[in-house]
Amino acid sequence: MTAYLARRALQAVAVVLLVTLIVFGLIRLAPGGVTTAVLGSGSAHQQFLAQYLTWLGRVLSGNLGRSARLNESVGALLAASLPRTLVLTGVSTVIALLVAVPVGLLQAVRRSSAVDHVLRGLTYLCYGMPPFVLGSVLILYLAVDWHFFGAEGPQAAGVGGVIADPRDLTLPVLTLALVTIATFARYMRSSALDSLGQEYVQAARARGGGERRVIVSHVLRNSLVPVVTLIGLSLPQIVGGALVVEILFNFQGMGWQIWQAAVNHDVPVTLGFTLVIGVAAAVGSLLADIGYAILDPRVRISRP
Amino acid sequence: MTAHQAAGDKPGPVRRLTGAAGVSLAAADPAAPVRGSRGRHAGPAASPPGAAAQRAAVASRMRRGLAACRTYPLATTGGTIVVAMAAFCFLGPLVYHTDQIHVFLSQANLAPRSGHPLGTDGDGTDELGRLMTGGQVSLELAAAAGVLAAVLGSLWGAVAGYLGGAADAVMMRIVDAGIAIPAVILLLLLTSIYQPSTAMLVLVIAGTSWLSTARLVRAEALTLRMREYVQAAVVMGGGSMRIILRHIAPNAIGTIVVNVTFQIANAILILATLSWLGMGVQFPGVDWGDMIASATQTISDGYWWEILAPGAAITLVVVAFAMLGDGLRDAFSAVGYDAVPATAAEADRPVRGPGGR
Amino acid sequence: MSGQPSGPVLEIAGLHTEIRRNGAAVRAVDGVSLTVAAGECLGLVGESGCGKTMTARSVMRLLPAGGVITAGSVVLAGTELTALSERNMQTIRGNDVGMVFQDPSSSLDPTMQVGRQIAESVVVHRGASRAAAAARAVEMLSLVKIADPERVARGYPHQLSGGMRQRAMIAAALACEPRLLIADEPTTALDVTTQRDILDLIGDLRAALGMAVILVTHDLGVIAGRTERVAVMYGGRIVEQAATSAVFAGPRHPYTEALFEALPEMASSQPASRGLYSIPGRPPDLVTRSPGCSFAQRCRYVRDWCATHEPALDGDHPGHGYACFFPVGVTGRARGAGGQDGAGGGVTPVSAWVSGRGRQAAGRAATAAPASTAAEPLLRVSGLVKDYPVAGGVLGRRSGAVSAVADVSFELLAGQTFGLVGESGSGKTTVARLLVGLERPDAGAIVFDGADLAAMPARQRRQRRSGIQLMFQDSFASLDPRMRVKSILSEPLAIHQTVRRRGYRRQVLRILDEVGLPADAENQYAREFSGGQRQRLALARALIQRPALIVADEPVSALDVSVQAQILNLMRKLQRQYELSYLFISHDLSVIRYMADTIGVMYLGKLVETGPAEEICTAPGHPYTASLIAAVPAVVTGPEMTRPPLAGTPLAGTLSAGTLSAGTGQPGMAALPGASGPPAAGPDPAHPPSGCRFRLRCAFARDVCAEQEPALRPHAVRGQLVACHFPLGPATAGQVAGQTMPSIA
Repeated sequence: MTAYLARRALQAVAVVLLVTLIVFGLIRLAPGGVTTAVLGSGSAHQQFLAQYLTWLGRVLSGNLGRSARLNESVGALLAASLPRTLVLTGVSTVIALLVAVPVGLLQAVRRSSAVDHVLRGLTYLCYGMPPFVLGSVLILYLAVDWHFFGAEGPQAAGVGGVIADPRDLTLPVLTLALVTIATFARYMRSSALDSLGQEYVQAARARGGGERRVIVSHVLRNSLVPVVTLIGLSLPQIVGGALVVEILFNFQGMGWQIWQAAVNHDVPVTLGFTLVIGVAAAVGSLLADIGYAILDPRVRISRP
Repeated sequence: MTAHQAAGDKPGPVRRLTGAAGVSLAAADPAAPVRGSRGRHAGPAASPPGAAAQRAAVASRMRRGLAACRTYPLATTGGTIVVAMAAFCFLGPLVYHTDQIHVFLSQANLAPRSGHPLGTDGDGTDELGRLMTGGQVSLELAAAAGVLAAVLGSLWGAVAGYLGGAADAVMMRIVDAGIAIPAVILLLLLTSIYQPSTAMLVLVIAGTSWLSTARLVRAEALTLRMREYVQAAVVMGGGSMRIILRHIAPNAIGTIVVNVTFQIANAILILATLSWLGMGVQFPGVDWGDMIASATQTISDGYWWEILAPGAAITLVVVAFAMLGDGLRDAFSAVGYDAVPATAAEADRPVRGPGGR
Repeated sequence: MSGQPSGPVLEIAGLHTEIRRNGAAVRAVDGVSLTVAAGECLGLVGESGCGKTMTARSVMRLLPAGGVITAGSVVLAGTELTALSERNMQTIRGNDVGMVFQDPSSSLDPTMQVGRQIAESVVVHRGASRAAAAARAVEMLSLVKIADPERVARGYPHQLSGGMRQRAMIAAALACEPRLLIADEPTTALDVTTQRDILDLIGDLRAALGMAVILVTHDLGVIAGRTERVAVMYGGRIVEQAATSAVFAGPRHPYTEALFEALPEMASSQPASRGLYSIPGRPPDLVTRSPGCSFAQRCRYVRDWCATHEPALDGDHPGHGYACFFPVGVTGRARGAGGQDGAGGGVTPVSAWVSGRGRQAAGRAATAAPASTAAEPLLRVSGLVKDYPVAGGVLGRRSGAVSAVADVSFELLAGQTFGLVGESGSGKTTVARLLVGLERPDAGAIVFDGADLAAMPARQRRQRRSGIQLMFQDSFASLDPRMRVKSILSEPLAIHQTVRRRGYRRQVLRILDEVGLPADAENQYAREFSGGQRQRLALARALIQRPALIVADEPVSALDVSVQAQILNLMRKLQRQYELSYLFISHDLSVIRYMADTIGVMYLGKLVETGPAEEICTAPGHPYTASLIAAVPAVVTGPEMTRPPLAGTPLAGTLSAGTLSAGTGQPGMAALPGASGPPAAGPDPAHPPSGCRFRLRCAFARDVCAEQEPALRPHAVRGQLVACHFPLGPATAGQVAGQTMPSIA
């Protein structure tokens, strides 16, 4: 397994390097001397590769540059917004999993029943509804009409402040969770259907005991293994969804910052944040593979 | 009349579609003259028996179509909604005339009423009429971007899968890197740099969406390449061109067709998101995303119809395309294609062992 | 559940099971009645789709989606199972009835420790504690003769070999000591040597635990000598039911008779020119009920009466029931007009292996004689080597190699058949792929028709490919699902442009006729055909180019016996017609023996023995060949013939497994005669043993076997080559063939 993971890690490094290359390349292609804004005027005459290496060297030493608009370093902005985004995405992903796994499993077990059809319709709905529509509808009814929750995300700084404000945090989290549930539940359903069709489930039934036991100890575990990979692979989508939710709810996380930077052509910030997210996604995919390897004994313990 | 009855007697297409085990030789025989090329050639002659045969053929085709619809309700529902929405957007304005150009502030933000069945927006424009014109933009751009993404991705994936080895590794790492950056962020980056003209918007959306198709088609190409019928063609002495054109492409088409529908659904979502962020279709063009964007500005005033109407339109179309895709996938796998994965994530499903890749 | 011990354990009466799907109801089980006495072993035989598995699953009430028991009763030791609530049924499953499934690699949960799966039923039914369950798992693993049970119990299924997985499955099914064990095709997915071990194990455990067994199988050889009674199923019904010896001595139902005659082992009992008997037509579809006997349409003795009247399952004397108005073997019975008079008087199946005259010498000699006079063989393979690299390490660099084919040499004369036999992983498929050019050899020469294909550049080689064609095992996978038959068959013509485009259709129709398919098949897709018809298509495609050699890789192993007979007959007919040569690859020695003039036996990439088919099958020189032959389930009349006491075997001397007492703890060695387990990790082709590759499993291995690799040396008869330091003498080997070898350790 070590060799496998080491190989995977090496791949992840290659992907991360490519991410930096893509991000930098896009900025470099932009008209109007954007690169000089990032690297300083001394770099204007340099070749692409030299500029890239200069920038990469700075990034690797932890220097993501300074905002062109705000009097702050990109690192400082990141430090302020990253934890907020982590809370939003973390909490909603956990909620999404807690809902989607049982829902998908239930759909698979009761395949083609009324329950399955209704839940399938609901997951279609969540899949088809863009987060800003879903969020707007939630705001419209739960915040504007009935005043259950706040229409804006928590404005307090720091993780503690965010968590201490559940009234305002609920709607952003709920929106992001519902969008994510759609993907996870669809996947869980097909994964569980796959497991249910396996011979070992029949064999487990032949050993007696209730259906619940068969489902919990055989179907569930085997269906969850691929879902772990999905979480890793969905990281970019979740972050993308978080961006929209953050903007809608005026929640100052990473997505909100990127949007502000993009609108105001604050290139160093856009560049730095995009890079961090891309790297995080590549690492997330690697972590998913490690999780997979831990859950699946076929990977964990190779044949002697 | 007798011809119709005869057509009714022959084995229905339902069995062809559903029964993987197939129809027995003898049972399928009577269908041959009608269905085969001879029947079609007989048509232009317009002699009475030929005409009857043609009529029978048309009837049988309709019957087959109906039966297929009954077998795949998901695809039928999705397809119907897609067609209905397209008709609504493109044909609707011919019936329902509205002024989408001028601003009527006196009519602003009216709730649904007679004359304005879906109310009016902040400019006093009729919401229903705007839904139609906005939908035209959304559907046109999304269809173009979705198809372009599927074509680009298919080519990339097919080449990577067919070449294998180092070329495959490099091409797929590029895809991995592209996928690692959330599409919305990449699009923000791109649209903030390049002023998004309509054509540019299509290119940019396709440019971020093709990655998942590439993964999918590569996986498909890899499995198809190992198929025994491809190996059989190799043993016969068939060259690469023949194998790609005659064996791999026709068998991968199911995956690609299903993927196109999901790509269009995805493009509608992305376009709406971009417009909502103010980076989409530029003024004076308006799409569904723009409509919601202006409505969210005034959300605290409770103009629910301004959000619900375009929101429902987007959701309906996206869900319809997704249903169409899911349904087509079921239909394709029933007639002998592989189980077509819907998303790149699903394409990654097969157990990845330490040695596997 | 404390019923009377002497009465029947299981009593099924008038069982009807339907599978309802898409508005149609398939009557999978259509009025089955049978009983199983305590401690008895009943064989349930039939071809695929006859309802045998559905009968077994109906007992467990584990039916696929849409499956319902519509009528009848299933009484297990006094309890009516069909009337039980699902909750009560759950207390029966695994407790009173255990079940073993066909494919051990898919019937064990890959993410759960083996021990936990085995102990699952004890936990469920007996409420065993964690420790007690673990102890029971270890106990069960040692009962099924797995070495180092503690370690295996903590391991996961993927760490076990196929045979060990099936042992673990058996352990799991028996953990609660059920009264009845249902084994559904328990050995179909296993190699032939492993198959024998597993069947012996089930037999031993039956005796030790005193349980009843239902052995569901398509293989008559599996039934022979291991069951007391047999029920033959056809079209959802039992068509014949009697003591095993009675059925084997004289089957009464024409279907049973036909099944026997379709076996390649039975070739000797039929006139040479006819080939194997094959049942025409297809099994009934079970959806539409037609009046009369369900076998009538395929029966060679059918009369008008049969089409209108349904025969009941009764017989001439108690204990032998058959559902036929005009049974086989009854004196005074007139054969039907369409019947084969040559096969009249019924067959007396005896083991072809024992009698030793399996081949119709006259028929084969006629084809072989002219070819053998020509000095130059059509194909000469020499020193063929193929290694597959094993990726390892951080960068995926080549860290080792699997030796798939190691120095294989043989010759094939025009118009003859070379049969390549071996267990899975022996490298026989790789040889096929090398011959047809799907892989390039690392060393060696493939001289075909005077030219060395291995040395040829790829382009030139591609042009010559029409001379060698390949038939795959899975004909469905080898036919493009998107193409109509006419495109599939004309593809070789289009590639080589030997025929003008307008000539395609004529060629296609001609070849369809030759392989026995109707002309209107040309417009259909592969999925519309049955397995046998698809294999005909595959043969047609290979044949349309008029090749000199067809490499057939397990062409019949996915087919039912009767269909297998059709394909084998067809292949032999075409061989005579076109002077074709075959390289016939199979794991099934009886099929190989029926088809081949010369046999090559492969083990772990090595050709360990080669020579004339008949001589090798009767007097093998290599211990591995001998053990393969011994493992072939013999279709014989009495149980005593398959399992002679090992002490009486001349070969069961110093090292035979039989002399080892139970629990000696020798790794991989069994405690009971004939039930030895394979080594924990089967032979690893990445690290083949030094010297003779077979030595680790050989009962005769000495020190020299580890030090020196044996070369192929001439043996007893002309043309027989054996790679062994201590080949079996003609005298001993002759005895071995019909008897039991010390089983492979």
